[in-house]
Amino acid sequence: MKAIRDVMLAGVSLAVIAGVSVSVAVAEDEYFIGVTSAQSGYLAPYDQPAYAGFKFCIEEKNAQGGLNGKIPVRLEVKDTRSDTAETIKAVQELVDDGAQFIVSPADADPTIAAGQITQAAGIPTMTFAGTAPVLTAVGEYIFGSYPADNQQATVLADFATEKGFERVYILKSPDAAYTLGGPEYFAEVFEKNGGTMVGESLYSLNQPDFSTIVTKIKSTEPAPDLIVTWAWEPDFPAFIKALRGAGVTTQVMGGDVLDTPTIRGLGDVVSGVYHTSGGFPEEGSDYADFVKRYEAATGSPPDNNYYVNGCDIANMIEQAIAAAGSTDPSDVRDALADIKDGKGIMSNFTFAGTDRMPLRPVVIAKIEEDGTKSFVRRAMADPDKLPQP
Amino acid sequence: MPLDLFIQQLVNALSLGGIYALLALGLAVVFSIIRLINFAHGEIMTVGGYGVFFSLLLGWPIPAAIIVGVSMSIIAAVAMERLAFRAMKGASVVSLLITSFAISEILKVLFQNGISARPKPIALPSELSGSYEVGGIVIGVIPTLSIAITLISLTVLTAFLRRTTTGLAMRAAAEDFDMVRLLGVRAGGVVAAAFALSGLLAGIAAVIWTAQRGSVDPLMGFFPVLKAFIATVLGGLGSLSGAVLGGFVVGAIEVFSQAFLPESLSPYRDAIVLGSVILILLVRPEGLIPPARVDRS
Repeated sequence: MKAIRDVMLAGVSLAVIAGVSVSVAVAEDEYFIGVTSAQSGYLAPYDQPAYAGFKFCIEEKNAQGGLNGKIPVRLEVKDTRSDTAETIKAVQELVDDGAQFIVSPADADPTIAAGQITQAAGIPTMTFAGTAPVLTAVGEYIFGSYPADNQQATVLADFATEKGFERVYILKSPDAAYTLGGPEYFAEVFEKNGGTMVGESLYSLNQPDFSTIVTKIKSTEPAPDLIVTWAWEPDFPAFIKALRGAGVTTQVMGGDVLDTPTIRGLGDVVSGVYHTSGGFPEEGSDYADFVKRYEAATGSPPDNNYYVNGCDIANMIEQAIAAAGSTDPSDVRDALADIKDGKGIMSNFTFAGTDRMPLRPVVIAKIEEDGTKSFVRRAMADPDKLPQP
Repeated sequence: MPLDLFIQQLVNALSLGGIYALLALGLAVVFSIIRLINFAHGEIMTVGGYGVFFSLLLGWPIPAAIIVGVSMSIIAAVAMERLAFRAMKGASVVSLLITSFAISEILKVLFQNGISARPKPIALPSELSGSYEVGGIVIGVIPTLSIAITLISLTVLTAFLRRTTTGLAMRAAAEDFDMVRLLGVRAGGVVAAAFALSGLLAGIAAVIWTAQRGSVDPLMGFFPVLKAFIATVLGGLGSLSGAVLGGFVVGAIEVFSQAFLPESLSPYRDAIVLGSVILILLVRPEGLIPPARVDRS
């Protein structure tokens, strides 16, 4: 019996190997992009739209013959469930399957973990929307896609100084590079501009209660005229509810995570909040056109910037392949790192001269009383002030 | 420490502790009767939060949204008992625990894929988000309401457990379930009532929680219920009054450790809470108010 079973196992193994070699053979004339995206867990609010936008534009390009009209893309997506160990496993599988490019989740921490594998394997890797500039420190194959925290913070700090704010209170969490770095970069530039930091509080992700911190802010002397945080959902809603609930009307400013319908749907408490953003779909812009195309194709509007940024990742890869004239991973990496003023939909992007976090304009938006957002300004971060990660 | 600051932090501690107390009591009511530590209790709370969200989305008035939210939690709790735990009758504590984990995971994924992975906003009218001043101390409306609702709920529940036949049967079942059944009380009814009660408490907690936090998301119930579980252990697993006391103690340690320790220690807040609980349990291994029941297993 055992002999028969061994023969059958060998047969199955042969079939599997044959199957794999067939798929590799087919893969030669297409570009294989491996995607790790959290479809559940804390990163899902960012990874789901980013992946949806990326997939939409890859499909648009495939319908026209592929990247640059001639290289069809094969996507393989793996769910990471917002779990770093799962991300590592998924990336390893994709690399083993022969992925030529990896798109990693929308946060620095899983991207850094993914980078441990892809850097060693020499596969260019780009985060969906991770903005902590430390993420590219893993190595030369790791790329950001969204304007980095230090760029966002620099533009926001210059804006705050211009508006006449002088005393800032910082709320940050050491639990994630994003929630810690953004406010610290802000404070650095704000102090260079002549402002002072009058206090800071640390919170934990998913902290049950913010009233204690709010009570501290209220008793801070001298009283801050501005509060800055890079807190995301559900922490930011909990914080702003506690803050306004305690009668504190101090101006609040935050990072690009506040650019969501959930935040704008909170009602009075968020009215007047300023936040940074990667882009703004002004009438007649390429972004507005993307919104129309996406809504027509899928039936639901892309209601945050992660969709269009996902699409721009497809544009970045396409332009890198065009410049490289090949799909070889190291050629694509070199070409990507050399892009100057590449054409994007959310905004144009420059990798040349950076540490692979693209230079892109930062938008400042304001949440209005009726729950809409209004455009305030678009600016590039002043390179002389840009804090180093 | 100025007195007004201390009073404000005390209000914060009571408000947070009250929510933990409600949740811990719900866990304790079920545990005391069928020895189930229901980790899906958090998802019962989340269901309540979504009930409030969808009611407001439909444009219903706030009182209706609150009633829908609480009712959804009760229905979820009773359905959970009927569909999952009744089939596991007589199973070991570990099997029940793992069943509750499974239900919790299934529900979280259903919320994420069926509703949204993103938090959903719950906008309340500004008068509810405001604050008032008493003797120079500014106190928020929502924390005040939370404390009031918690105290009313606990008072009504105490009266229910002491004055009604079902309440008496539940208290008796907590002490000796087999004896209660021998006396002719329907076991199924008592268990169902315990789940309904835990659903009611989780629903009330959900309403207060969403009002304070402004959003509901698939993971909403997980973190507070973890703290409530710690509270039930601290109070004495299976002890109803212990669970309430444990909830307030955990809330107070959490708030005061953030309020009065140096800022550099605040990332260790959860470690401080758990460390304090371990210290208290070293002195009182049975919990603050040990249950009356003698565990024969």
